[in-house]
Amino acid sequence: MTLSRRGFLCRSAAAGALLSMPLKAFAQSGEMGMLRVAVYTDMVGYDPIVTTSNIAAYHGALVYDMLFGNDENQMPHPQMVGDYTISEDKLTWTMTLRDGLTFSDGSPVTTADVIPSILRWQARASQNGKLLAAATQELVALDDRTFQFKLKEPFPLLAAMLGSPATPLCFIMRKREAEMDPAQAVDVCIGSGPYVLNTQETRPGIDYVYDRNPNYVPREEPASGLSGAKIANFERVILVNMPDAQTAIAALQAGEIDFYEIPPIDFLPVLESDSNLKVADIMKSGTEGSIILNWLQPPFDNLKVRQAMLYAIDQEAVLKGLFGDPNWFNAHPSWFTYGSPLYNEANSEWFRIAPDPEKAKQLLAEGGYDGTPVVLLQATDRQVNADAVTIIAQQMRAAGFNVQIDAIDWATLLQRRPNKGPVSEGGWNAFVSTFNGFISSNPYTFGHMATIGENGWFGWPSDERNEELKAAWMKAETPEERVAIAAEIQENAWNIVPRVSYGHWVQPVAYRSNLDGFVSIPGVLAFWNVKRV
Amino acid sequence: MLGHFIKGLTTAIPVMAVVAIIVFLLLFLAPGDPAAIMAGENATADTIAQLRVALGVDQPIHLRFWNWLSPILHGDLGNSIYWRQSVVSLIGQRAGPTISLAVTTLFVSVCTAVTLGVIAAARVNSRLDRAIMGFAVIAFSVPTFVVGYLLMFVFAVRLGYLPVQGYKPISAGFWPWLSHLILPSLTLGTVYVALIARITRASMLEVLSEDYIRTARAKGVPRRSILFRHALKNAAVPIATIVGNGIAILISGVVITETVFNVPGIGRLVVDAIARRDYPIIQGVTLLFAGVYVCINLLVDISYRLFDPRIRY
Repeated sequence: MTLSRRGFLCRSAAAGALLSMPLKAFAQSGEMGMLRVAVYTDMVGYDPIVTTSNIAAYHGALVYDMLFGNDENQMPHPQMVGDYTISEDKLTWTMTLRDGLTFSDGSPVTTADVIPSILRWQARASQNGKLLAAATQELVALDDRTFQFKLKEPFPLLAAMLGSPATPLCFIMRKREAEMDPAQAVDVCIGSGPYVLNTQETRPGIDYVYDRNPNYVPREEPASGLSGAKIANFERVILVNMPDAQTAIAALQAGEIDFYEIPPIDFLPVLESDSNLKVADIMKSGTEGSIILNWLQPPFDNLKVRQAMLYAIDQEAVLKGLFGDPNWFNAHPSWFTYGSPLYNEANSEWFRIAPDPEKAKQLLAEGGYDGTPVVLLQATDRQVNADAVTIIAQQMRAAGFNVQIDAIDWATLLQRRPNKGPVSEGGWNAFVSTFNGFISSNPYTFGHMATIGENGWFGWPSDERNEELKAAWMKAETPEERVAIAAEIQENAWNIVPRVSYGHWVQPVAYRSNLDGFVSIPGVLAFWNVKRV
Repeated sequence: MLGHFIKGLTTAIPVMAVVAIIVFLLLFLAPGDPAAIMAGENATADTIAQLRVALGVDQPIHLRFWNWLSPILHGDLGNSIYWRQSVVSLIGQRAGPTISLAVTTLFVSVCTAVTLGVIAAARVNSRLDRAIMGFAVIAFSVPTFVVGYLLMFVFAVRLGYLPVQGYKPISAGFWPWLSHLILPSLTLGTVYVALIARITRASMLEVLSEDYIRTARAKGVPRRSILFRHALKNAAVPIATIVGNGIAILISGVVITETVFNVPGIGRLVVDAIARRDYPIIQGVTLLFAGVYVCINLLVDISYRLFDPRIRY
């Protein structure tokens, strides 16, 4: 076949036009009425009460509402509650639901829904709900809109716990779902929040479609944290499950998504250099890295060996290895989250000295450590976790520990960590975990701060003094009193070393620069009030 | 031929049964607990234990095997642990993207690879032959995800010609459907093209050295006709075999490609299920893939007679 020059030019022009045609089609941002959010992990069902996972809280915050909402300073404000009163003896809290509350199926929200919702939440909540349940004598409905907490003893934090962002949050469900077994996930998703899950268009494991709830009446106060007006500016919010960070970032750059939940820190310079994108720390709580020590098995059943860990770990080196840019992390000596109201530096001389391998070796010798291998679990499919273990293990070796890393996947680690037995029976000595900065910022949300032995969280530390101080903190009336007791809690904590910190870091989000109006809630991404400008 | 097909299907039943038992035992032996994953990182041991009972994952192996097997005998693959939705319906939701991706990849790869293999054989030891074989070696060696990210960066992020990720059904329009498949198909097809092109070249070279080809040349039959009518047809049996065997590569490639391009297909479904130990989905999809593999190889067997009538079953 021969091709004339004219024919060649015509075909070249046509090919060029064809190639350039779709250029605009894929370079545009999302539709005006739609917000597309890429999330790193998939949901594990539609029940935000049955799980402590953050993604379930994002879902819950869209679909359900709460009785109280804590603001950005963690002060509680009525949300579904209109008015509430506290009796003079502080033993009776009477709450009335505000006008216009309806579920997305059109049925009104009544106390018949509220009371079983609270009870179900209490059954699942790690610490705060259980503390409230223990302090409650009776929870009774006075009529369809009014109910009462009758307490055994004054409980000043009652409203703050109902409005807390600690997972699981106290979301209000319909009576039908709220009365289900707390160990069984609810099978339908009907709430009274600003959005409704569109089950027809949702594809489990792929994307979750939320449409504006036409029945929702927002409060009039300005939004702050979980409190105030929740305005559904977008007609539709879609949570897209996008586990691959590279793909999510490319999609954000190309404008195919509007928001990405967890951009890896090493990608941030690329994102920050793009004028169409913004990188920001929205949740403002950060993450605390923690080394969980098994108190039930040698060698960490020995106080001196646990104290040696304080001198073995160089937080700065671990964090630098993990994140590189010091703008995103902080080495610190506090038992409480860096920058939180209870943050303090009591009893932290070790931090000024650490790392000090010689001091650690001395403590190991005093504790009689005989070189028995310390099994450190490493979840290889969690990047931060895996890298942290590699660095921490090396620091422990330099301090005289004989460390054996057991590399497994996250699912296996979750299965293995309840094993209280010795290593020879499938147990463990230490693992690395990360805590949302909010839940480790105070004793009532932080179940991991419990020192109640085998009935507590993994690691099973045991210390009566810590429990007494926590109880005193709970009863304190003023923020000043709480700060003072927090310093005592920390003083005691670093004497007994329930666990070891490897620092605090911030996980920013990335989004298209034409978005505005995000509210700051520790550990929870909420998309009400967000708008395209 | 029909008899052979029926016989093949009958043989497939014990194969599938063995696959089912092995898959179940492997999953049972593999560590990991769906209750712990569902409960979340901050859950207590008590909470996890309650969930284990609620999900039925605390039962002994024989009960779990029977609970899984008895519905399968009635064509039901069970329900997802997390979604409480039937595995058949979940696979049905995800089948469209995977079938689209597999068919376009198969079509483009086989056409491209056979053409490249024939050209390389026709010009054996030339620069073109070396270039094609060099490409085949590189394409076979570079991991699928690397190819995917490179294509995504150039054609989606830099040039903006094609979408980065996702999938549109054909009901949304031909171009939206095709545009979402081009990059994943090229990524997935790269290894496949390399494999088939090399086999085609080797098979063609063997046939081209036969006496009847020399005779055809001596008779003055045009070169194109010798290559495509005489040689290719006789070289087709090994090519068909490798196309069939290559389905296994395609299936494993689908899992990676769908993850890289966020295509909501069966590959993504099974990756997510493995991470969360959603056993019914893993078992269902593995059975499906095994069944597809058995059926395709059966069809390849049958196709031999079309290429070579001397073959008898």
